[in-house]
Amino acid sequence: MAEKILLVDDETDFLEVMSERMSARGMEVTTAESALDALEQVEKGGFDAIVLDLMMPGMDGLETLKAIKRKRPELQVILLSGHATLEKGIEAMKLGAMDFVEKPADIDALTEKIHKARAEKMVLVEKQMETKLKNIINARGW
Amino acid sequence: MTTTTDLTGWTGLQFFGRTTASVSHELKNALAIIKENAGLLNDYLLMAEKGTPLKPERLKIVADRIDQQTRRADTLIKHLNRFGHSIDEPLTTVDLNEIVSLLAALTQREVSMKQATLQLAMGESPMTVKTAPFWLLTFLGHCMTFSLKVLGPEKVLHLQAEKVEDGTRILFSPLSGLQGAGQEDFPGEAEMALLKSLDAACHIDPDAGTLLVNLTNR
Repeated sequence: MAEKILLVDDETDFLEVMSERMSARGMEVTTAESALDALEQVEKGGFDAIVLDLMMPGMDGLETLKAIKRKRPELQVILLSGHATLEKGIEAMKLGAMDFVEKPADIDALTEKIHKARAEKMVLVEKQMETKLKNIINARGW
Repeated sequence: MTTTTDLTGWTGLQFFGRTTASVSHELKNALAIIKENAGLLNDYLLMAEKGTPLKPERLKIVADRIDQQTRRADTLIKHLNRFGHSIDEPLTTVDLNEIVSLLAALTQREVSMKQATLQLAMGESPMTVKTAPFWLLTFLGHCMTFSLKVLGPEKVLHLQAEKVEDGTRILFSPLSGLQGAGQEDFPGEAEMALLKSLDAACHIDPDAGTLLVNLTNR
């Protein structure tokens, strides 16, 4: 099954070319040009991973990352940045980003990270299901 | 204790660093788009080798994007180069319109990060003024940052250079946020030191919503 990716960047040309390249690699890509658009898409759900630009007008990538993690903690976020400083990278990882990639990114390396993100998300979802089931069993005394 | 000279030097260096970081970030964005389009051409070639025919209209889109982004990168480098050369002469005669348009170009990213729009109004050209271009840009850069903080809800910043009786001036407006909190921190110690070295004056009018920078003829 195709990986469902949300690609977030304020550069329209970047979104167009990346989504075409990612689609050619078998991914199902949705794009968002702003943090607000991205959060609306996240609300709808169904993504395996989010590729998110760090520097965007309005709400920046780190703020968006926090908001995404609040809404859907299981979602795997890969941050993209034109100026990947170590500090920002550490901050992003602390906030729950799965990875931090510097622009221009290598599409094959990014694809690998997306595969990994999907696998990690599946593990997290399975754990969530397991916890839910345990709670139901405990609550009903089965 | 920091001397005025040290403070001015530090402020200038900080502005230089901030500006080059911002422009280089933009440059990386342009390069990323160019790189991905080159990659897309490779994808098309691989697909063609496997029997999918090349579509000229797709190739045209890729070529146009590469052309557009190369021009964008070239413009960014030109601006950065002009900024770099602004420190060549400690005091020189410049066209204030050029300084203001360079400021607009260098701070474009800062403006768009605040989701604001910049409107430039040029005065008569050339509007010559004898000044220290780098230090003037540094001071105006600080004015820009401050103006963006106190910009009205419409988020349109009007920037104008004009001739006045005793010299020239640059106007930042409409700054409706000047009525609220925040204006007390501008001009601060660093900006006052810059104003002194530029022999310039700065007037903030909260009622009119304006920030005026007056440059006297030297």
